[in-house]
Amino acid sequence: MRAGAAVLPGHQITVEDQRRLSVDDLLPSKIMHPGDADDAARGLRLCDLTPAAVVVWGGGTQMRLGAPPRRYEIAFSTERMTRLLEYEPADLTCRVEAGMRLSDLQAALGAQGQRLPLDPPHPERATVGGMVAANSNGLGRARYGTVRDWVIGIAVAYPSGKVARAGGKVVKNVAGYDLMKLHIGALGTLGVVAEVNLKVQAIPESEATVLGHFEAATPAVAAGLRLARSYLSPAAAIVLDRRALWECGLTADWRWTLALKLEGYAREADAARDQTIGAIRDAGGRVEGGADLPATFWDAARDWSAPDGDVVLLRAIAPIASIPTLSDAMPPEASVIIQPAAGVVDLRVTAASAAPTLQRMRSLAGDAGQVVVASAPASVKSSLDVWGPPPPGFPIMRALKQSLDPNGILNPGRFVGGI
Amino acid sequence: MNAADRERLLTRLREVVGERYAFADPYEMRLYQYDASPETALPDIVVIPANAEEVARIVKICADARVPITARSGASSLAGGTVPVEGGVVVTFARMDRILEIDLDNLRAVVQPGVVNLALSQALKPHGYYYAPDPSSQGACTIGGNVATNAGGPHTLIYGVTVNHVTGLEVALSSGELVQVGGRKSAEAIGYDLTGLLVGSEGTMAIVTRIWVKIQPLPPVQKTLMAVYPDVATASNAVSAIVRTGILPAAIEMMDKLSIQAIEAASHAGYPLDAGAVLLLEVDGIPEVAQELGERMAKVCRDNGASEVRIARNEQERQALWKGRKGAFSAMGRLSSDFYVMDGVVPRTKLPETLAKIDAISERTGFKICNVFHAGDGNLHPLVLFDAFQPGQYQAVLAIGDEILKLCAEAGGSVTGEHGIGLEKRENIRYVFSDDDLEVMDQVRRVFDPQRLMNPGKIFPGEGLRPSALNYPPGYPRRQAAVAGGEDVWV
Repeated sequence: MRAGAAVLPGHQITVEDQRRLSVDDLLPSKIMHPGDADDAARGLRLCDLTPAAVVVWGGGTQMRLGAPPRRYEIAFSTERMTRLLEYEPADLTCRVEAGMRLSDLQAALGAQGQRLPLDPPHPERATVGGMVAANSNGLGRARYGTVRDWVIGIAVAYPSGKVARAGGKVVKNVAGYDLMKLHIGALGTLGVVAEVNLKVQAIPESEATVLGHFEAATPAVAAGLRLARSYLSPAAAIVLDRRALWECGLTADWRWTLALKLEGYAREADAARDQTIGAIRDAGGRVEGGADLPATFWDAARDWSAPDGDVVLLRAIAPIASIPTLSDAMPPEASVIIQPAAGVVDLRVTAASAAPTLQRMRSLAGDAGQVVVASAPASVKSSLDVWGPPPPGFPIMRALKQSLDPNGILNPGRFVGGI
Repeated sequence: MNAADRERLLTRLREVVGERYAFADPYEMRLYQYDASPETALPDIVVIPANAEEVARIVKICADARVPITARSGASSLAGGTVPVEGGVVVTFARMDRILEIDLDNLRAVVQPGVVNLALSQALKPHGYYYAPDPSSQGACTIGGNVATNAGGPHTLIYGVTVNHVTGLEVALSSGELVQVGGRKSAEAIGYDLTGLLVGSEGTMAIVTRIWVKIQPLPPVQKTLMAVYPDVATASNAVSAIVRTGILPAAIEMMDKLSIQAIEAASHAGYPLDAGAVLLLEVDGIPEVAQELGERMAKVCRDNGASEVRIARNEQERQALWKGRKGAFSAMGRLSSDFYVMDGVVPRTKLPETLAKIDAISERTGFKICNVFHAGDGNLHPLVLFDAFQPGQYQAVLAIGDEILKLCAEAGGSVTGEHGIGLEKRENIRYVFSDDDLEVMDQVRRVFDPQRLMNPGKIFPGEGLRPSALNYPPGYPRRQAAVAGGEDVWV
């Protein structure tokens, strides 16, 4: 396929938009911004008939994830699909269009004392659809789960020109296949997520932060793991090295920080604080109340894992017992945020040290874990295997792609194994 | 299948599992023709593998011979999920019932599909942990079956359903390969989430041979309350009122007047006989929190029309309250020789109007309908009472079921919350999904099972059901009578 050979569908694109919607230095030739799910499906059908390669755009906060696209002709933007379609607070459910900003959704829920307990980076830009497509999660993973635990229904536009739904609007539902799971983290390679139905929850009554100071990573991680295995698990438990702490807006005399966010009913948070302080002291750390913690700390820690510029973010996901080993892999110039209870290690490295660090982390993670380049500039990605070896079951994944996107127009080449 | 083909297939399967564990004797196979649903169909061969490798070889043999294959373990499906409607081979997991590993360090357990749900939690209890999904049939249903149906239970309100607790699967594909998807780490994997896709696929994509599940610490205290209401509408509104306070109980169960009478006659749980509805509420937590939440919920219940609220003072009282609920279905034998169990879902705010409509159906048709259900998540289980010996009653009951599912769908709900579509609801699935929706699902299925041999005749409408299987099975009235007197049906 050659751009310009066939007449591409979509609208003319301005130079600014071309630049804004570039992916790994590739520029789109046309733009589409459908108004709703059906409109999206009609647009995709046109792209499929051409065929023209499509990259779906939400807020763009996760566009540095994935391999560079093989082709890119149409920027497919969800910017006009921003409506909150249904929300019944007493049902603890809502239905939203994919292009809705996460912060807008949280504001609407917050007005009713509720929230979506997912906290992916940059909620003021990130969209609900993008969060689903990139399986973008935050620091609350261990306690509240990930995107797959909160999406109860989905409407997807396919290259066939059809919109197909799965799941529904109720919190408990086993009718038909759970195709939500297929699209979560698929990076839009199987269809364009057009609408998402979500479970929500009440905002907890009480919130507190406790910081523990450590001179080494191992005891901080151990304390985090111990709390994770207890009944009163924290809402977030992260271990930061001094540099990461500084990048989140705090300076420290000590080398490692265990930061804990405690949420729940008032008495629950109180009890959790006592338990947390005990665990930090037992592990040899010193406790600070977090009273003078800047209000922006948790937001900064959340956004830390989606950096811009030349920074490269490597992410290891592994069984939690192997986290202490993985935490030792960091080169001296790196900074790290570890989520022990979720089995996640995020490492910020320079372009120069990305390749050797990635290799070392992959060997440490072994078969039970995996390490991906979660964010990197195109120049770095071209020399890295961003996803690593395809997982078991990959032939099925490729067959699913072939079945739902036979002409390969959706995000070609960006996903695992060249999908 | 003709006799010669069957003999050939049996010989090949016996080469895999041995003489004893593959059989085709009609008498021996009768056990495998039914589950906890009304429909029955005899398989051509039953095979009982010892391990995953044997399962994979069995699947390959069946695929090569183009013979349907249906997995079965506890066979407590209420939707006919394990009934081999198109004949073929039934694979049963009676010999694959081991807990392979309890990995406290990683908060995981690794189990074979035939492990009984409750057995896992019992094995974890000495360590202070448990497996959260607890279908009411947990004493009989297996984790493999739970994975197939994405089973729920009373405590899903706070802890979620099976898929939220499964992080990996080993499956036998129709190609005869064994593949592990996901595993010990979190489910936040690279590549498509095949684990999440396979959970709830009712055995129509692959056969699960090993399961990685999350385990979690036992709650220090569980506080259980019973609240008594004059009618189900008042009780339903109280449920919404509790949810609006921001308290998320671990369970909210409702029983209506008719159910209360049956339960009391059977298990003396202590529910008041003159009540119009009873709510059973539970909160988990550390002692001071559970106590406080219990009292707060009690107040909300009273403020919203409860005539009486009783908090279980000890584990014995708590167990008594739950015994009534968990034994509700078998207690129905006190009211009727037969009953038909439904499984619909509505948004919880639609409970009052939906229950009123069900009441009107009962009124109009003359069939009594009991309601015992998971009120917290709007998951209804209407039980239509009937007499299978009366000609035409079963057909009339099916029509009532259809009507109830339709009104659940119209209320914005679903035609199944936890039992699955199975054989039973494969036409009703049209109430919630369009042809386009179903076509995409079928495309996905064909990727796994191009020959349509994995548990065929399930989930998808209008497909392959042999006309004879639609008829009322001759053995049915006798079996249901036995069930009603025993204790082998739960929900």
